[in-house]
Amino acid sequence: MAFTINDRLPIPPAGCEEKNVTCEFCIVGCGYKAYKWPAGTEGTPRKNALGVDLSKQQPTYGLWASPQMFNTVTDRDGKKYNVIVIPDHQCVVNQGQNSARGGMMASTLFTATSFTRDRLKDPAVYGGNNLNRDTWENTMDLTARVLKKILDNDHPDEIAFKAFDHGGGGGGFENTWGTGKLFFSAIQTRSAAIHNRPAYNSEVHATREMGIGELNSSYYDSELADTLFVIGANPYETQTNLYLMHWAKNLQGANFDDKKKEYDKGETVQKGRIIFVDPRLTASITNAVELAGKENVLHLRLKPGTDVTLMNALLTYIHEKGWEDKEFVKNHTEGYSATLKANRVSLDEAEKITGVPKAQIVKTAEWIAKPKASGHRPRTSVYYEKGVIWGIKNYQNIASIVNVAIQTHSVGRVGTGVCRLGGHQEGYCRPPAPEGMPSRDKLVVVDKAAAEGDYLAFFIWGCNPFVDSIMGQRLGNAFKRRSEIVKRAIDRNIGADNETLADAIYRACKYDGGLFIIDIDIYPTFKSEVAHVQLPAATTMEMNLTSMSGERRMRLSEKVVDAPGIAKPDCLISADVANALKALYEKEGNTAMAKRFEGFDWKSEEDAFNDGFAGQGAKMHSQGGPTGTLASYDLLRKAGNNGVQLPIQKVENGKLIGTRLLYTDKKFGTQSGKAMFQPSPQPPMPKEVQRQLDKYEFFVTSGRLNEVWQSNYHTSRIPMTRGRWPVAPVEIHPADAKKKGIQNGDMVLLYNDYGSVRAVAYLSESVEPGTLFMAFGFPNSPVNNLVTDFVDPDTRIPFYKGTAAGMKRIGRVDDIYRSMTFKSRI
Amino acid sequence: MSKQTIRNERRGFFKAVAGAAATAAASPALFAGEAKHEGGGAYLAYDRKKIGSLEALKKSGTLNFSYPDAQSPCLAVYVDGEVKAYSTLCTHKGCPLVYNNDNHTFVCPCHFSKFDAAKNGEMIIGQATEELPRVYVEVKGDEIVAYGIDGLVFGRESNKLS
Repeated sequence: MAFTINDRLPIPPAGCEEKNVTCEFCIVGCGYKAYKWPAGTEGTPRKNALGVDLSKQQPTYGLWASPQMFNTVTDRDGKKYNVIVIPDHQCVVNQGQNSARGGMMASTLFTATSFTRDRLKDPAVYGGNNLNRDTWENTMDLTARVLKKILDNDHPDEIAFKAFDHGGGGGGFENTWGTGKLFFSAIQTRSAAIHNRPAYNSEVHATREMGIGELNSSYYDSELADTLFVIGANPYETQTNLYLMHWAKNLQGANFDDKKKEYDKGETVQKGRIIFVDPRLTASITNAVELAGKENVLHLRLKPGTDVTLMNALLTYIHEKGWEDKEFVKNHTEGYSATLKANRVSLDEAEKITGVPKAQIVKTAEWIAKPKASGHRPRTSVYYEKGVIWGIKNYQNIASIVNVAIQTHSVGRVGTGVCRLGGHQEGYCRPPAPEGMPSRDKLVVVDKAAAEGDYLAFFIWGCNPFVDSIMGQRLGNAFKRRSEIVKRAIDRNIGADNETLADAIYRACKYDGGLFIIDIDIYPTFKSEVAHVQLPAATTMEMNLTSMSGERRMRLSEKVVDAPGIAKPDCLISADVANALKALYEKEGNTAMAKRFEGFDWKSEEDAFNDGFAGQGAKMHSQGGPTGTLASYDLLRKAGNNGVQLPIQKVENGKLIGTRLLYTDKKFGTQSGKAMFQPSPQPPMPKEVQRQLDKYEFFVTSGRLNEVWQSNYHTSRIPMTRGRWPVAPVEIHPADAKKKGIQNGDMVLLYNDYGSVRAVAYLSESVEPGTLFMAFGFPNSPVNNLVTDFVDPDTRIPFYKGTAAGMKRIGRVDDIYRSMTFKSRI
Repeated sequence: MSKQTIRNERRGFFKAVAGAAATAAASPALFAGEAKHEGGGAYLAYDRKKIGSLEALKKSGTLNFSYPDAQSPCLAVYVDGEVKAYSTLCTHKGCPLVYNNDNHTFVCPCHFSKFDAAKNGEMIIGQATEELPRVYVEVKGDEIVAYGIDGLVFGRESNKLS
């Protein structure tokens, strides 16, 4: 039976196995230590692996394993082990602190008797209304035979894939390389989409084209900023330890010594201030007031979709006041005059459009651009994330922010930067797509194309498009319809050999509108209802995995336990698919095609790492860049939880030397080497969204909750987080709730032309009347059912944050009402 | 048994105790059924300790005490006609929690975690990985007696220091 210790934990014995683990969740990438020892043995309070006297009460901030940081697992050797995963006090990122998410990593480990018991353990193939457990060999043979028919008779682009491109759990340099090499080099398809969006694109094309990579600063530099300028982000809930361990110090004025050390001689040293641009009042803002005092916090509560006007007003006003960095703009940028002209907005117009009072815009300009008492330029760290990335128009939203950053020289200087805050850690390392991808404005919106009948086979790899893509409900229905066609073909051929079965599947796809769906994941999801082949993957702590954080800090997160059943790392699954195709082509004597599938003879994830990140250098697209070749598992293991900030400069005495801050030389990533201003006028409301706004009463926006990670795969299972959020909440202003007769805890229905979703009412003044905020990423109540099919024509990035819906009360579900708290989170 | 069912039972149990203001000894079956975590739990043997008067608690709303030893600060509160008691060391990093009697929430001044005293210490928002450890109390006449803890107190590998 499951047995969870509640008021006493076993003690790791001195000398037990100790591994470095990087948190698998948010981009901050906190360091953790994992201790593992055979069950039935234990240390003593005074002699143990933690090196502290556990017979005593530990002090505030002291070392402590909470019950969620403990688990008992069974490895493939059949033996039981105790595991503790606790935050690393030596890691410079989190300094011994955990977030609610990272602190639960141990409890997410697979055990046959806990809430993780439904992890995918074996490959499975559809037949007779079930996904039937199968061998890797048989599953791969069938899959490869279907793919081969497509490659032989059609075009590689008929094989689509939608996959993670990130680091952390369900990603990492090993796995992005494995999948990338399979699809781009071997299969050679260009029908690709990324885990959380319907095409294969960057979320930050604008800043890259302006010459500035999106992760150009460091967490230490954010501690040194005079002003933190945060746009469309809620970092207390989504980049927790950047906020609590780095920004808090700055906002409390607790690091003047560091500032004195790093600033110019005679430069004013002052307590940090913070500006938030957000239509919503969040915990990040209310907590900042506690940290910095309300005189040091500005909340620009703009109308949704008006960020560009606000940024353009700042650009205009800063120029009028002459607060731009004239030398920098003149010598190291291009396009300033044209951009000023195209973006010109007066304070009066801006106030009218954004709803932000003029005085607040002026104060913002002063905080980010007006010279300090000593005459030095202020040091401004600019951060943005999904509020603008997934806003009204991705390209202009980002460009308008970077314009202001360049104008004020908020990049490449100590204490500055213009960075996305990020979701996952990063981990991109893939070969280029065959013949290169089409330009960003010509990319295929793959998810929508599949819904409309394109493609013959579709891999859904470590993501859940029915929760995290556009028009979720329509997408799910379309995949169900197309899947069913293939299922019927399989059922008509039960008992046939793989070649016959593959032929039946192929024909169902080619002639009858079917879609052969391969699902690779760690848990069953809605995808299990549509998949014909399901493959079980390993995740963090079940494999060695490298990723980089929001300050480009790369770590090796070590393997601690075995993956469930016969699950494998994604890179080795990719290799299995490639090797199965290679075997079929070799058997047929087609050496040219067999050759395309060579180079996957990997025995471990380290082989994939050495082939990809450490092997390719400039020959691929990698966040490691050309000097990634200097990295090795050995060196990274030595670097521990502090790792190395990419790009690597050199290896010195067995130590990797990295880069804290980019663009200190003022050479940017454009042909001329100059940073490029981009005209970015205010975009109109997209017509798809406007139609919903015209028809339905409420503007609906969405975002993350601190206690829920991504598509809620672990956190919908962990008892504490599942109990907190059994379904997605929708924040409703009390005035709107009153009007609709809705109380806390009522189930409500939101609906529009695209679909409907249910949520639990959570009354809050975090939203303005007329706007609803719904939590994103709940498979059992996906707000994306309401999201339109609009994408930015320039980048193909959706406007997930904006749609409209009607709302009606369903009734109170007593169980949910009694168990959940509805008290204020702000 | 689902978490929801457990919670409902616990709530009912404490209501009955407070409502009748009568003696209610914890039967072993009830004790086991109140596990905060799924699938059972390990419970140490705790000493019983008188922590104060029900009347005084009703009047002031809060009652400071320590349990199971002097280094483990706790607070009994009177919420919705019930006596509830919790460890006041935040289950995130051990900062002493501040109780707000107006809305019955515990707030961490260090990292802003918030817990609801009316909902068994459920985390409203924050960075802790545990709800607040709940101190079991029973009411005998006017006397409130602590007799166990559900949940691990911050900074300990065992609620009973060795």
